Amino acid sequence: MNGTVLIVDDSLTVRMDLAEAFEAAGFRPLLCATGREARDALGREPIALVMLDVVLPDADGVELLKEIRAKAQTSDVPILMLSTEAEVADRIRGLRTGADDYVGKPYDPVYVVARGRDLVRQHGGALPEEGTTVLVIDDSTTFRERLRAALEQTGYTAIVAPDGQEGLRLAATRRPNAIIVDGVMPGIDGSTVIRRIRLDAALRRLPCVLLTGSDDLGAEVRALDSGADAFVRKEADMQVILARLAAALRSAPTQRDEAAGIAGPTRVLAVDDSVTYLHEIAAVLRADGYDVVLAPSGEEAIDMLAVQPIDCILLDLLMPGLGGKETCRRIKALPTARDIPLIMLTALEDQAAMIEGLGTGADDYISKSSEFDVLRARVRAQIRRKHFEDENRRIREQLLRRELEAAEARAARELAETRAALVEELESKNRELEAFSYSVSHDLRAPLRSIDGFSQALLEDCAERLDDKGQSYLRRVRAAAQKMGELIDALLQLSRAGRAELRRERVDISAIARAIAIELQSSAPTRLAMFEIADQLFADADPRLVRIVLDNLLGNAWKFASTTGKAVIQFGATHVDGTPAYFVRDNGVGFSMAYVGKLFTPFQRLHSEAEFPGTGIGLATVRRIVERHGGRAWADSSVGSGATFFWTLPVSKPGSRS
Amino acid sequence: MTHKNPIILLVEDNADDVELTRRAFEKANLLNELVVARNGQEALDYLFASGAHAGRDPDDLPHLVLLDLKLPLVDGFEVLRRIRCDNKTKRLPVVILTSSREDRDILDSYDYGANSYLRKPVDFAAFADAARQLGLYWLVLNEPAPRLRGSSRD
Repeated sequence: MNGTVLIVDDSLTVRMDLAEAFEAAGFRPLLCATGREARDALGREPIALVMLDVVLPDADGVELLKEIRAKAQTSDVPILMLSTEAEVADRIRGLRTGADDYVGKPYDPVYVVARGRDLVRQHGGALPEEGTTVLVIDDSTTFRERLRAALEQTGYTAIVAPDGQEGLRLAATRRPNAIIVDGVMPGIDGSTVIRRIRLDAALRRLPCVLLTGSDDLGAEVRALDSGADAFVRKEADMQVILARLAAALRSAPTQRDEAAGIAGPTRVLAVDDSVTYLHEIAAVLRADGYDVVLAPSGEEAIDMLAVQPIDCILLDLLMPGLGGKETCRRIKALPTARDIPLIMLTALEDQAAMIEGLGTGADDYISKSSEFDVLRARVRAQIRRKHFEDENRRIREQLLRRELEAAEARAARELAETRAALVEELESKNRELEAFSYSVSHDLRAPLRSIDGFSQALLEDCAERLDDKGQSYLRRVRAAAQKMGELIDALLQLSRAGRAELRRERVDISAIARAIAIELQSSAPTRLAMFEIADQLFADADPRLVRIVLDNLLGNAWKFASTTGKAVIQFGATHVDGTPAYFVRDNGVGFSMAYVGKLFTPFQRLHSEAEFPGTGIGLATVRRIVERHGGRAWADSSVGSGATFFWTLPVSKPGSRS
Repeated sequence: MTHKNPIILLVEDNADDVELTRRAFEKANLLNELVVARNGQEALDYLFASGAHAGRDPDDLPHLVLLDLKLPLVDGFEVLRRIRCDNKTKRLPVVILTSSREDRDILDSYDYGANSYLRKPVDFAAFADAARQLGLYWLVLNEPAPRLRGSSRD
């Protein structure tokens, strides 16, 4: 595991201080006093986290930051910047350039380490192994130290707080794994501490053990009421407290609340033109565990809001430049900032000013002359309200998302069911069609055989009793029966071309064409005809279906060129729009392109039966076969000068092969 | 075994087709006795001397079976299967004579052990020609399996 933290700061005190804090948390600190040293270190070894001061003796921290971000191997390393609060512009510049977070000097080393850990975790980095930390809050020094000793002996890391206020601050900054809190304390008592913890989105899942007095009968009720996971009488043996703690830790969610890492610490933006006042506020609020960001003007505050997530804004009403009211109006107009609670500060005890301030959208109003305690309480109240709202919004969004997901799942399921039903219906229809075709092929032909056969028998056996007219009629009966037989066969072929399984393989189309040409020629050996068949034409297709295509097209060519003195029938390939297209060309009677639309439709004929006999199904079959191969078929002709039929057989895409 | 004209067993339910087949064989000068079975069960009874044909000599088998596929009661495939399963009849030449040209029927026929597959054309002249060639081949040119009385001990 690499837990190396690069600490870049020109101050030896800061370097040593941070090094100690990070080392205590299990990281390996690497110290640099100058930009050059930092560059060397970054090029030399993998770094988990960079602590970067804005002001360096030989470089500008922000420029160095830019360099780090530009390099592929360090573009993703988490960077936490350090600078004095007065340099607001630096902070904005740093965050804009790609710093992950910013901590103002003076800083709390514990807070800096906690923030560093958060950043490393967010970047998917491995964290140094950390023991289970337990926060003990008790006003009795004796008991506190006894409990600390017992915890450390058992293997826990213990941190202690003497009162509820400090306890809450440590809970926020140190993120312990559990809390043991005394029920009876001056100031904030144990139940209140737990209640506040439960209200904090980042801490609410923290296991809490409440210690109660011995003969307090309502203790259990009050403990559970406040949201404690367990309660123990203070007189009980240390072992009982430890056992309760272990049980509470076991039943707690193993994973820390993810929102905690993302939400980060609670951050207050203080905006005032008086630097003195700013620092006063900062000190007070920092003591309460907040991270305080300072801005000396409204303009800088608005710039800061664009780059830094803020949980609460303290805004002075009277400032040079933009002024409090206008700043407030602009902040409330920013979609990303309008939900941040804003407390207006003013030196005036003026009813009208207060109303005016609230009129611009401020959430609260405090006189600067008030005690800081009032300010702290108001800030706490506003932040709690915001946490509630954030939490509610998060829950609402979660519910909405779940509802949406459920709806999507439902829709997908319905779609799948509908599709399955359709497929089943289609399959059933196909089976029906197949059964129909089968019985057509089988049963419709039998009567035709009888009509033809017995007509022939009549002609042979009863010839002397039939005159020429009678014999001619019988011949017509036979011709009609045979024609119907052909029609049935052609229809069956069309239907089979549409439903037969496509079995693609490498087909020698030239060889098929030659075989058909020989058959046609031998059906009329005396007819003068010339076949010109191109060699070596192959396709990735179903050989039986290709045979049907060529049977029909060459058969047509042979038929429609029969009235030509010398028929010339060609088979070859050409390129149309970049794809190979095969063609059959004849020098027969041709047809008018006005009727080309009818050509490939079943039962459509462009010539009379007397001129050229046919079923009107052949070209429909050709088209269906070509389309099943993903190709297309078309024709070109003019009356009296032959016809050319083209078709393509695209190579099947991998995976579509059946 | 007597040396009278070899018998042809025609398994066909359509009376017209029976008549036309008979006529086609006559025109081809094939003067064999044509035994007709109207359905699959009748064909099996004749071949195995059971049912209506219980008194028949079971060793007196036809020389050629012309078998339609679509038959009442027991269909052509079942008749073919039973013929091929029995030692006495397993070498009988069986020609499928049917209207169907479905791949499935052709494949199944050969799988069940048909010797030949012929589709009855609508044109009677073509049918007569087919019957002539068929008779010439199976009854004259083809050398049948030797017939051993009592059978299956060869």
